[in-house]
Amino acid sequence: MSLNAEQVLQSEYLQARAKILELAAILDRIDRAEGAVDAQPQMQLLRKGIDVLNGTEPDKAARVQLLFSRGYDPDWRKTMSV
Amino acid sequence: MDFVDPHIHMVSRTTDDYETLAKMGCVALSEPAFWAGFDRGSVESFRDYFRQLTEYEPRRAAQYGIQHFTWLCINAKEAENVSLSREVIAMIPEFLDKPNVLGIGEIGLNKNTRNEATIFLEHVDLAVRHGQQILIHTPHLEDKYQGTRMILDMLLGDSRVDPNRVLVDHVEEHTIGLVLEKGFWAGMTLYPVTKCTPQRAADMIEKYGSERLMHNWPAIRPSKPTGPCRT
Repeated sequence: MSLNAEQVLQSEYLQARAKILELAAILDRIDRAEGAVDAQPQMQLLRKGIDVLNGTEPDKAARVQLLFSRGYDPDWRKTMSV
Repeated sequence: MDFVDPHIHMVSRTTDDYETLAKMGCVALSEPAFWAGFDRGSVESFRDYFRQLTEYEPRRAAQYGIQHFTWLCINAKEAENVSLSREVIAMIPEFLDKPNVLGIGEIGLNKNTRNEATIFLEHVDLAVRHGQQILIHTPHLEDKYQGTRMILDMLLGDSRVDPNRVLVDHVEEHTIGLVLEKGFWAGMTLYPVTKCTPQRAADMIEKYGSERLMHNWPAIRPSKPTGPCRT
């Protein structure tokens, strides 16, 4: 039988907390390091990814995946002559 | 519980791993042809590899009561060498009647290049002409979505291809729906950093159901050879 939302939250809470902490520590590590990376595409993608998590829309995992994906050109066969 | 691993590269594992798999309940596995970690130099190198997959590995697996099946191809990582790829594709039929051969695979794309697409199409043609099943590798990380769309375009563009005889592997949240809705089989690969965690695989089963959906652990990354049975 599927768990209800409350049961899922209780079951996953510590895991999610730990993962948020890991992410926070990574961002701290970047902050402490010499140099600036705010303009780097990877840093911007990470920030957009965090925005997806903070939103209310469903299918967050798929939307994060698409955020980190190269675009698809439906005419690729014509462009590549394949 | 008995289980079958549909995608595992045993040539890179020790005999102890066969023993562990057997103890965990593995009764059969299928091993797609793969990149060696370096580009092979000639068609003879592939001939030796295919002998390993069709003669030696089945014997090694059988010592532990495991049935060994395999798939043959030249990997997309080596498709930039188009002439060598064509030599290998021409040689593959020598092995198609071996008793443990399931089909052509794992073919696919790596960086989604023109040469990779060309060799993919030639593998598909080989499979169709010889009545073989197809096992497909989809690219990694940022290349996966684009590559999966390209692969589906090529498969759906060939009316001879029966989706029910094609497994598209390494699906994740953004590609699984595309694969299943077109009638193909889909595979989820348990590599927590670059592909999928057991928990996310379970989420996808919950969302899409288990019909035409497999999960596997290809065993080329540093980890235990028992991923699927620990899921």
